Amino acid sequence: MEIDLVGESIKFMILGMTVVFVFLYVLVQLMKLQAYIIDTYFPDPTPMSPPPTPKSPAEDEKARVAAIIAAVAEFRKTKSSSKG
Amino acid sequence: MKRIFIAMVIAWFGMTAASTASEHAGVSETPSKTYMSQADRKAAEAASFESKGVGQMMVDFLKTTGIYALVKGEPGLKNEKGEPVSFFAQTWGRIIMFVIIGLLFYLAIAKGFEPLLLLPIAFGGLLANIPLADMTGPDGMLGIIYNMGIANEFFPLLIFMGVGAMTDFGPLLSNPKTALLGGAAQFGIFGSLVGAAMLSQYTPLVDFTLKQCASISIIGGADGPTSIFIASALSPELLGAIAVAAYSYMALVPVIQPPIMKALTTPEERQIVMTTTRKVHKREKLIFPLVVMFMTILFLPEASPLIGAFAFGNFAKESGVVDRLSNEMQNSLINIVTIFLGLGVGSTLRADKFLVPETLGIMIIGLLAFAAGTAAGVLMGKLMNKLSKDPINPLIGAAGVSAVPMAARVVSKVGAEAKPGNILLMHAMGPNVAGVIGSAVAAGVLLSIFR
Repeated sequence: MEIDLVGESIKFMILGMTVVFVFLYVLVQLMKLQAYIIDTYFPDPTPMSPPPTPKSPAEDEKARVAAIIAAVAEFRKTKSSSKG
Repeated sequence: MKRIFIAMVIAWFGMTAASTASEHAGVSETPSKTYMSQADRKAAEAASFESKGVGQMMVDFLKTTGIYALVKGEPGLKNEKGEPVSFFAQTWGRIIMFVIIGLLFYLAIAKGFEPLLLLPIAFGGLLANIPLADMTGPDGMLGIIYNMGIANEFFPLLIFMGVGAMTDFGPLLSNPKTALLGGAAQFGIFGSLVGAAMLSQYTPLVDFTLKQCASISIIGGADGPTSIFIASALSPELLGAIAVAAYSYMALVPVIQPPIMKALTTPEERQIVMTTTRKVHKREKLIFPLVVMFMTILFLPEASPLIGAFAFGNFAKESGVVDRLSNEMQNSLINIVTIFLGLGVGSTLRADKFLVPETLGIMIIGLLAFAAGTAAGVLMGKLMNKLSKDPINPLIGAAGVSAVPMAARVVSKVGAEAKPGNILLMHAMGPNVAGVIGSAVAAGVLLSIFR
């Protein structure tokens, strides 16, 4: 007997499209679940937020010097005030 | 140097000893190829060689030229199944193939149509059509390549591994639901399967079997390695035409898709701006290939060769600890395999196999498959835009027909035409890579049906 090509191929189409959609739908749900689990319980040690804009070395040095001066000044102030 | 000389002396002594021994033993009546004495060789030559005049030698030599073979054919030439090859396929057929191959060279070099594959395929076709040389026979260069990795479906898997190592699933993971668009575009495969069945059943043009219909329709998956994998599994006799159709239409994506995309969407829909995607953690990318594997193990083990190779490549890349391996897969390995795959596929572009009405049918169905896949993706995009709370530009559905990354670029271009500054590329990459998984799943379904 001749195979009814069209009838068979329509059956293949129904099966195929169903499997593809179910597969991808479950995959979508798993992706969401995985994103939820990872976000909640295993946050990435290196967050993807844009890194702070790097300063030029000279600017960096200035800031450090300023911080040291401020700290020393603060230290002296507290020291003198505790003595006095 | 000295060692080589000593080795040669020893070998010579061994050989003389062996030949004298065989003469003494009187086994010279049936000399095997390896243990033949010089006297045997002389006797054999005297029996078969006939001295000819120079004129006769010239005539005989002319009979071994390509010109003679292309005009007169080779009487008694048989293909690998032992069927005689028609006179047309031996003469004019070969010449027509040379012209077609010239066209493929032109498309690859001047037009830039997937040159990485079309060029080796076309050159393989050139070699395959040389008369008398029997390049595609089991001992010919192309035959060896074909049997090494195409007849057993091995090369497409290696390519898939490299593609996996090049793919970034970030855009898909940041907007998972776009994966469904990659599923809708697989209608290109199954819709054209029905189309191919209709053509064979109701028209006298072609007469395909179900298996042949299935392997032709996989062209709609817009994925070269998957097409070659399925064709060599289900209908190796159509491999050449299917591969050429798949790669030429993939190259034609920028021509085929935009009119369909524009016809199915309104200008307002094309102007939709999609919200920016969320950031994806590294660990999500690392786990994703395993999730895909897990799904394959549970639902569709038949698709595991394709998806397994793909997931392995991707996992190696995302693990970040085997950069050497992942670089190898993305570069040297995929390049070497591409050479072999191209030449091997080209070996099937022989006149007696390619110049048949079926080839024309394959070209038509392949084009329909691409169009149907694009249309289904766009329509699904429209539907999702209606249902989803975040706006979805229906154009990105067209990227669901794999063809990474060309289809996504086309989407971005059409989107930018409708609304300058609207960059859809990253949004389109999601359905694009999902399309690769989708067509591998569809391939697995087809394989499981014919198991």
